[in-house]
Amino acid sequence: MIEFQHVSKQYSSDAVALRDITLTVAKGELVYLAGPSGAGKSTLLKMIAAMERPTAGKVIVNGQDIGQIKSAGVPFLRRNLGLIFQEQRLLNDRSVLANVMMPLLVTGSSRGPAEQRARAALDKVGLLQRADALPLALSGGEQQRVSIARAIVNRPQIILADEPTANLDRASANKVLDALRAFHSVGVTCLISTHDEQVLDSAARVIQLERGELMQEAA
Amino acid sequence: MSIWLRQHAFALGGALVHLRRAPGSFLFNILVVAIALALPFMGVTLLENVRPMSEQMSVDPELSVFMKHDAPREQTSGIAGNLRTIVPDAKIVFVPREKALEQLHEKSGLSDVLNTLGENPLPDSYVIKLNAFRSAAESAQIDAIAEQMRALPNVESVQVDSAWVKRLAALLGILRLALLLLAATLGTVVVAVVFNTIRLQVLTQREEILVSKLIGATDSFIHRPFYYTGALLGLCAGGVALGAVALALRPLNTAIAEFARLYASEFQLAPLDPVSMAALLALSAMLGLIGAVLSVQRHLSRLN
Repeated sequence: MIEFQHVSKQYSSDAVALRDITLTVAKGELVYLAGPSGAGKSTLLKMIAAMERPTAGKVIVNGQDIGQIKSAGVPFLRRNLGLIFQEQRLLNDRSVLANVMMPLLVTGSSRGPAEQRARAALDKVGLLQRADALPLALSGGEQQRVSIARAIVNRPQIILADEPTANLDRASANKVLDALRAFHSVGVTCLISTHDEQVLDSAARVIQLERGELMQEAA
Repeated sequence: MSIWLRQHAFALGGALVHLRRAPGSFLFNILVVAIALALPFMGVTLLENVRPMSEQMSVDPELSVFMKHDAPREQTSGIAGNLRTIVPDAKIVFVPREKALEQLHEKSGLSDVLNTLGENPLPDSYVIKLNAFRSAAESAQIDAIAEQMRALPNVESVQVDSAWVKRLAALLGILRLALLLLAATLGTVVVAVVFNTIRLQVLTQREEILVSKLIGATDSFIHRPFYYTGALLGLCAGGVALGAVALALRPLNTAIAEFARLYASEFQLAPLDPVSMAALLALSAMLGLIGAVLSVQRHLSRLN
C-alpha cells in the first residue's frame, strides 16, 4: 500500500531530512514512526500526502508514484488519506460540524448526506454533543478528536497522524490514540508519528528514525 | 443536482457568506468600482442618444446655390444648364423663392415674424446633391465645384451644406474614441480594485485555503468562490453605476429641455435600452471576474 524505495529528501547541502529510506507498509497495518524532533518523521508523512516530493528514490502510495504525480492529481490522492496534525488546523470561524463536513463538500457531496456522515464521524470520536460548538470552545484533546473525525469522515484507506498527542495531557492523548486504534481495528492503515515513547503500542510496528535515517524496526 | 452545479452553488454560497461577514468593506468596494464605471456609462448613454441624430442626417455632399435677390426668374431658372455642365451626374433641384418661404413658414415656427416682413426676403436657389465621395481626394473637389458655381452669372453665394454634418460625424468619431480610451482606463481601474479586494480575501482565508488543499480540494474548487466574489462585485457596481446615470439624466434633461426649446425641439436624453443595460452589466461582471482571475492566479500560486 505504501512503499519507500531508497528515498532521500534534501532541502540544501546541509539540510537533509531523509536518507535512503526503504520501507513498506501493508494494507491495514498500524505503524508508529518514533524518533526525536528533526528525525524526519513529518517529512516522511508529508511525502505520502504529496506535500513533499523526494529528491531521490520513489514513494509509491496505492500504486501511484508520488514523484511523478501531477499537481492536478494530488487532491484526488489526498481524498484517500486522512491527515491529522499536531496543531489541529481547524477553522475557528465555523462550527465543529462544519469543519468535519468539509472533506465531503469538497468532493461534491450534497449537504444533507454530508451532515449525516459528519455527525456519525463525530459520534465515533465521542463528540456528537459538541457538533454546534466552535472549535475554540473545545479543549485541546477534543479539538484533536474533531480533527480525527474530519480525517475519517471520507472513509480514507490511510490515516496519517503527525504528532497527534504532542500538546495533550496523558488522558486526552490516550483518548486520541484510542480513537485512532479503533479505526485501525476496522482495517484502516494508520501511520502515527510521535517522539513520546510512552504512547507507543507494544503490539504495533514501530519504525525508529534518527537524523533522517531508519535506525531500527520493531514489531 | 449534478456535482458540477452543486459545487458552483457551494462556491456562490461561500462567496456570499464571506461578503456578509464584511459588508462594509464590500459596499465600499462597490462604491469605488461604481464611480469608475459611472463615467464611461454616462458617455455611452450620451453617445447612444446623439448617434441616431447624426445617422439620420445626410453626409452625402450637398450644395446650395443662392441666386441674386433681384435676378429675374427666367435667368435664375435658366442657369440649371450651366450647373449640369459643372456636375453632370448630380441631382439638381430648383427651389423658387415662394416655395422656400412656404417651407420656412412650415418648419421654423417663425410665421409671425415672417409675416411682419411683408416682402419675401428669400432668393431663388438650387439644391445640388452630388454622388458620395469615395476618397478624401474626391471630397476635396467639392470646394473647386463650389468655386466654379460662384463664378456663374446671378449667383450670390454657394454653401457647402454637408460640411457641418461631416464635422459632427467626425466629432462623434473623436468622442467615441475618447470614450473608448476612457473606458479602457477606467476598466483597468476596476480590474485593479477587484484584484486588490481578492488579494485581501485570499490573505484573510489563507488557513481555509491551506486546509482545503490538505483535505483534497481541487484548485478550481478553491478558486471558484473568489471568481464569484469578483463577478458579484463587478455586477453590483455596474448596477449602482447605471442607477447613478439614470438619476443624473433627470437634472440634465431639465437643462437640455430649456436649451432645446430655443430650437423648437423636444430633444431629451433617454436611458439606455434594456439590452444595452444588460450588456453593460455583463461587461462589469466580466471586468470583476478578470480582476479576480488575475488575483487568484497570482496569490494562490504563492500559497502552493
